[in-house]
Amino acid sequence: MFKRFIALEWKQFSRSSYFQKGIAIKILLALGALYFIGMAAFMGVAGYFGIQKFMPDKDPITVVNNFVIYWFLADMVFRYFLQQLPVLNIKPYMVIPIKRSTVIHFLLGKTSVSFFNFLPMFFFLPFSITSLVNGDYAVINVVAWFFSMLFFTLSINYLNFLLNKNNKVFYGILTVLVAAGLLQYYQVYSITEPAGYFFNTIYEKPYAVIIPLLLMVMLYRFNFKFVRKDFYLDGAISKETKEVHTQELTWLNRFGKVAPFLKNDVRMIIRNKRPKQVLFMSFLFLFYGLIFYPQESYQDMPAFLAFASMFVTGGFLMSFGQLVPSWDSEYYKLLMSQNIPYREYLKSKWSLMVVAVVISFILSTPYIYFGWDIFGMIAAGALFNMGLNSFITLYGGVLNQVPMELNVKAKAFSNTQGFNPTQLLIALPKIFGPMLIFYLPYKFINFETGIICLAVSGVLGLAFTNFFLNQIEKVYQKQKYKTIAAFSEKK
Amino acid sequence: MISVSNLSKSYNGVTVLNIENLDIPAGESFGLVGNNGAGKTTFFSLLLDLIQPSSGYIKNKNIIVSESEEWKPFTSSFIDESFLIGYLTAEEYFYFIGDLRGQTKADVDEFLKQYEDFFNDEILQKKKYLRDLSKGNQKKAGIIAALIGKPDVVILDEPFANLDPTTQIRLKKIIKDLDENTGTTILISSHDLIHVTEVCKRIVVLDKGETVKDIQTSQATLEELEAYFNK
Repeated sequence: MFKRFIALEWKQFSRSSYFQKGIAIKILLALGALYFIGMAAFMGVAGYFGIQKFMPDKDPITVVNNFVIYWFLADMVFRYFLQQLPVLNIKPYMVIPIKRSTVIHFLLGKTSVSFFNFLPMFFFLPFSITSLVNGDYAVINVVAWFFSMLFFTLSINYLNFLLNKNNKVFYGILTVLVAAGLLQYYQVYSITEPAGYFFNTIYEKPYAVIIPLLLMVMLYRFNFKFVRKDFYLDGAISKETKEVHTQELTWLNRFGKVAPFLKNDVRMIIRNKRPKQVLFMSFLFLFYGLIFYPQESYQDMPAFLAFASMFVTGGFLMSFGQLVPSWDSEYYKLLMSQNIPYREYLKSKWSLMVVAVVISFILSTPYIYFGWDIFGMIAAGALFNMGLNSFITLYGGVLNQVPMELNVKAKAFSNTQGFNPTQLLIALPKIFGPMLIFYLPYKFINFETGIICLAVSGVLGLAFTNFFLNQIEKVYQKQKYKTIAAFSEKK
Repeated sequence: MISVSNLSKSYNGVTVLNIENLDIPAGESFGLVGNNGAGKTTFFSLLLDLIQPSSGYIKNKNIIVSESEEWKPFTSSFIDESFLIGYLTAEEYFYFIGDLRGQTKADVDEFLKQYEDFFNDEILQKKKYLRDLSKGNQKKAGIIAALIGKPDVVILDEPFANLDPTTQIRLKKIIKDLDENTGTTILISSHDLIHVTEVCKRIVVLDKGETVKDIQTSQATLEELEAYFNK
């Protein structure tokens, strides 16, 4: 039976529309996956030597053990927001003669082959091997340790399933995490020390691998029972229908003609899974600067700092903006046959993006810690985002005619949206524009002039808002039929 | 009100619609019947400028629909679920459509009152998003939304499908009412010959993209249609 399931899965994968998009996208996807795998492997090997170099008196595995709790916590958060659960697909199997337990085992097994489970292995495996080759470790300990990490990762995988499906579990875990965080923050009790001690003990006593193994099996059984008990259309596989309230959002009326669209956009973002995911991702972009600013090596390459500064405030703008007509793909025909001026529609999206940049900018004030130069750069980057990037992104959006299911989380690596050649070409000015506009005056005059030029380019863009919107409107008009046809294709 | 000249649509050399001439005067209730693939939805999509004609044009109140958008303020339609915004509650959806058609919230509330029967307490104040309503209830919301703001032209694709018997009867009443008491031009497609002969004054039969019958509805129409489709 499993063999047949796997054959069906393969068909689903190889026949899905995004996979039939041509060789270029496949190559890009493969490269993307390889990049992540490569990065992980590199981190594994480099991690070992890095720890050895910077903490010569410490043992690399112990160091990893001390910090691995943070990784697992972050993993949990990421999965909760990003990992798509394949739950709805079991509906067709409910009425054909296959044992329920087979279907459930398959369903749970399927979550195990997620990218989220492989990625950490690409770190732990090379790290373990490097440790064995270079260090003075007992093979049995390292192997058992590796498997412990694998079992912990899978435990998180199954825990995530419960978190998504069971509110009790979700709030329980949330309370524990918040409590632990508060205790740590107020230095009442540090959870990381005993956690480090725990993981080190598991390493020292190879038979302790039984603990994560049992944890994993227990969570798996728990999931199994949970799904088994609720294996009905209105049970575990049903879409949740929460009681909702009509939201007038009258405070948006002050935006005049744009208001009806703005209201819908706000509702769209807060009521659908996919846009929420984008919101979460754009929040992470706020921390992008932390990769660049603290490092000495980048201080002499301010063009890269300009690049980073643009990303700090531009996360939402870019991740939301590049999918602009796609957000409305489910009801695009309505918009096209109703009494809707394209301009107001575009302006609403544009306003959202600009507001998001302003909010990100306010949230980025802690970067003052890295000095006023950096903060000035972020401010200039924000202006560039508002005045130019917003229009470039909107312009690129219409070339990206992929229908989207709003209330379904994107799968990691199945999201080819934005992966077409034109789209890539349009991404170039977004990334290199601010670098160039900053770098040339910086090189020939000085740092301040660079920042001023970047800021002025944004202000100029804002001054020409009407002109840009008109141009973009024309492109949208021209693409109208193509967009409608693309959006009515089956997903 | 609506006039079609030399309209054709073909995909990869296969003609799916070819109407030389068709005039629908203002205020008419116009029914379109035909088997699957006859071109009904294609015709409505062309009328709403959702697809481009391969040749010819449609004029809506003397406006060529593929060249100007001026027909939009007085035309409204419900074709399928893609005309609903799934993440809105029914009220929010009605107010949104009202906004687009220059109706205040109070106007819309007043307008909705007359359809309380039709909604049968299943649409308003349900605390549900449209995407969580049943197919039939989604359709009810979509049809009524298409009537907001007194449009001159109303286009409904298969309005009776998915509705329960009581609602079908109520919908017929609404359409007849609209036909008799207002000057609204109503275009309806249907697979149900009984319903369509009951509410439409004129019926056109499409077959493989061509008009094969154009009947002013009378007592004998239903029989004539049944005879035609029983081939």
